[in-house]
Amino acid sequence: MSAMKKWASILVSVLLICSLAACGGGAANSGSSQHSPSSSDSGSQDVSSGEKKKLTVWYIDTGKRKELIEETIQEFMKAHPDVEVAAEQIANDTYKTKLPVAMGGNNPPDIFHSWGGGWLKEFVDAGQVMDVTGKIDADSYLPAALNLATFDGKLYGAPLAMSLTLFFYNKEIFEQYGLEPPKTYDDLLNIIDTLNANGIAPISMANKTKWPGALWLIYLANRVGGADIFNAAFERRGGTFDDPAFIKAGEMIQELVDRNAFVTGFNGLDYDTGQSRQFLYTGKAAMELQTSGYLTVVRSEMPEFESKMGIFGFPAVEGGLGKATDLVGGVSPVFSISSQTKYPDEAVELLKALTSKELAQRYVDEAGVVVAVKDVQYNDPFAIQMKEFLEQAEFLQPFYDQTLPPEMAELHKDTTQALFGKSITPEEAARQMEEAAQSMLGN
Amino acid sequence: MAGDAARIRRQNKLGKGLFLLFFIGPALLIYAVYNIYPIFATFYYSLFDWTGIQAEKTFLGLENYANLMKDRVFFRSLGNNVLLVFASVFTQIPLGLALALLLQSKIKGMRFFRTVYFLPFLMSTVAIAILWMFIYNPTFGVLNGLLSDLGLQSLQRSWLGEKSTAMGAVIATICWQFVPFYMILLRAGLTGIPEELLEAARIDGCTPWGTFTRITLPLLMPTIITSATLSTIGSLKYFDLIFVMTEGGPDSATELMATYMYKQAFRFFSMGYASAISSCMFILAFIAAAAILSLDRVRSRGGY
Repeated sequence: MSAMKKWASILVSVLLICSLAACGGGAANSGSSQHSPSSSDSGSQDVSSGEKKKLTVWYIDTGKRKELIEETIQEFMKAHPDVEVAAEQIANDTYKTKLPVAMGGNNPPDIFHSWGGGWLKEFVDAGQVMDVTGKIDADSYLPAALNLATFDGKLYGAPLAMSLTLFFYNKEIFEQYGLEPPKTYDDLLNIIDTLNANGIAPISMANKTKWPGALWLIYLANRVGGADIFNAAFERRGGTFDDPAFIKAGEMIQELVDRNAFVTGFNGLDYDTGQSRQFLYTGKAAMELQTSGYLTVVRSEMPEFESKMGIFGFPAVEGGLGKATDLVGGVSPVFSISSQTKYPDEAVELLKALTSKELAQRYVDEAGVVVAVKDVQYNDPFAIQMKEFLEQAEFLQPFYDQTLPPEMAELHKDTTQALFGKSITPEEAARQMEEAAQSMLGN
Repeated sequence: MAGDAARIRRQNKLGKGLFLLFFIGPALLIYAVYNIYPIFATFYYSLFDWTGIQAEKTFLGLENYANLMKDRVFFRSLGNNVLLVFASVFTQIPLGLALALLLQSKIKGMRFFRTVYFLPFLMSTVAIAILWMFIYNPTFGVLNGLLSDLGLQSLQRSWLGEKSTAMGAVIATICWQFVPFYMILLRAGLTGIPEELLEAARIDGCTPWGTFTRITLPLLMPTIITSATLSTIGSLKYFDLIFVMTEGGPDSATELMATYMYKQAFRFFSMGYASAISSCMFILAFIAAAAILSLDRVRSRGGY
C-alpha cells in the first residue's frame, strides 16, 4: 500500500513540476501578447505570423503622448504589414534600471528611449547603439536637439520633443501686489522681498530628487559666466568647474536661501507626488522654475490653475556674460536603434515614423509641447510662447546631468542639493566637481 | 538475518531520501537558480571592471574591494546601516513585545485594536513611504501641524529636508512599519507559554513583574532571538522605503549600503563595484546572523 501511495505522490509532484513550468511559459506568453498592440486584430496576424518581422519599442512618454505614440505604431504596422511592433511603455525610474539590465543581458529592445547626452553615450561606448548617420534626414530636426545624440560626429538617434526650463507663475498673485515678470535678477530679488513681506512664499521647489535645484545652478552659471561656461569646462578646453562663475552661482543660490526665497523644507519635498505644485495650486507660493512638462502636469492635475498661470524666462544678471534669452533645456525622447537589431532597415523606418513631422505636429496640437522637429505649426497658446522662447534663444544649454558622465552628473546634483541645504560652501562644491572632472574627463 | 534487516533498513532509508527529494526538488531548484547561483555570480562579478551593459569584462582581482575600503560614501552608508540595526533591534522588538503583552491582556475591544495595530504591516512599503512623506511635509504635514497646535513651533523641522533629522525621521517610519510584524511573532511565542506555569507563579504569590521577568521573558527568548536575527539582517539589506522617501539624501545623510549599491549599478554603470558592495553586505549580514545565533547557543547552554 505504502509503495502505491509513494508512487502516486511522485506522480503528483512530477505533474506539479510540469504545471509550474507551464505556468512560467504561459506567463511569458501572456506578457508579450499584452504588450503587442497587434493582438487585437489577431485574425489577420495569424495568417502570416510565421514570417512577420518583430520589432520592440521601449518608451516612457505618458498620458496623451503615450496615446499618440501608440497610434503612430498602429499606423506603421498598417503601412508595413510584414512588420509586427511590440511597444512597451515603462515608468521613468523603472526604465533607467530596466534598459541597462536588458542591454547587459544581451536582450535589448530594437528601438529605445533616451535623453541623449551622457546617458546615451554610455550605451554608445558599450557598442550597443546603431550609427544612423546618413540613414535619417538630419535637416528635419533642430540642431540643438540633434547635438545631444551626436558623438564623435556620428548620429546615434533622432529627437522628438524638447523641454525648456522657464518660470511658471501665478498671474493673480503678481497682479495683486503690482508685480511684473522680472527683466533682471535684481527685479527677481525685489519680487521675492515683496512676496515675503506679504506672507507668500516666493518660489516653490521640490528638491528631493535634486534636479529641480540643479536647474537654478545651471541658469545662474550661464547668466554669470556666459554661454560657453559649461562646455569649456566639460570639453576641457580652457574652462574648469571651479571657475569663479560656478562659485558665484553657488553663492547666489545660498543668498536666495538666506533671503527665504524658497518654500520651507524644499530639500525633502518630492516633485513627482506634487509637493511643490501644491504650493502654487493653493496660492501659498507664487512661482516655480521648472521644465515645460509642468504644463502637461498642470493640465491633468489641476486644470483650473491653467488660466491663472503665466510663464517668463530666467532674468539677466547685471554684469554677467550670459544673455537673458539663453535657455536651459533638453530633449525627450531621443529614439535610438540597438546595434543588435535583426531588422535594421525596418527599425530605421520605424525610427523615422516615431520622429516624423506628423507625430511632432500632433504632439504640439494635442499634448502642448515644443518639439525638436522643424516646420511644425504651433496653435496652443502656451506652446506658441515656448516656441518663441526657443526661437529667440541663441544658445540652448542642455541639463548638466544629461550631458555629464553619470557619476559626475550625480556629484553635480549632490553638491547642488548640499549648496541649497547650506551644508557645503560654493568653493568646496566647485572643487569637488573639478576634481571629479580631472579624473573622469582629463585635464 | 541481522544483515538482511540492516539491508532493508538501508534500502528504506535510500527510498525515503529519494522520496523526500521529489518533494523538496522543485523548491530547491527555484532556490538554487534564484538565490544560490546569484550569490556566487555576485562574488564572481565583483572581481571585474564591468559596466553591466556590455559583454566585455576586465579582470581586476580584488581591486574593487581595495577601492571600497577607501570609499567615504560606503563607510557613511555602512554607519547608517549600523544605526538602523540598533534602532530596529532596540525599538521594534521591545515595542512589539509591549503590544503583544497588551493584546494578551483582557481589555474590552482588544480584537479591534489587534487589527488596527497590525494594519501598518499590511500596507505596501511605497504607500507607507508616500504617506509619511506627506506627514513629514514641512508646510502641509500633520506632524508640523500638530506641533503648531501644541504651541511647539520651535520644534518644527523640515524633517526629511535637513541632514540632522532625515535619518531619524526615516527610522521612525521603518519602526512604525515593522513593529506589528514583531508583535504578531512575539504574540505567537506568548501563546506557546503553558498557562499552568503562569498559574503556579500566581499561586506562589509572584508579582506580575516577577512573572514577566522570570517566566515569560526566559521562555520567550528563542522567539526574541529569531526576531533579533530577522531584524538585523533586514536592516543590513534595507532599501525600498529609504529609496522612495529620500533617495539616500539630503547630501547622503540617509544613504544605505543597498541604495549606494543601486546607484553604482544602475546610475554609474559600475556593475563590478556594485557587486563588491553587495558581496560585503552579504558577508556582514552573514557574520551578524552567525554572531547572534552563536550567542544564543551560549545562552541556552548556560541555561539562562
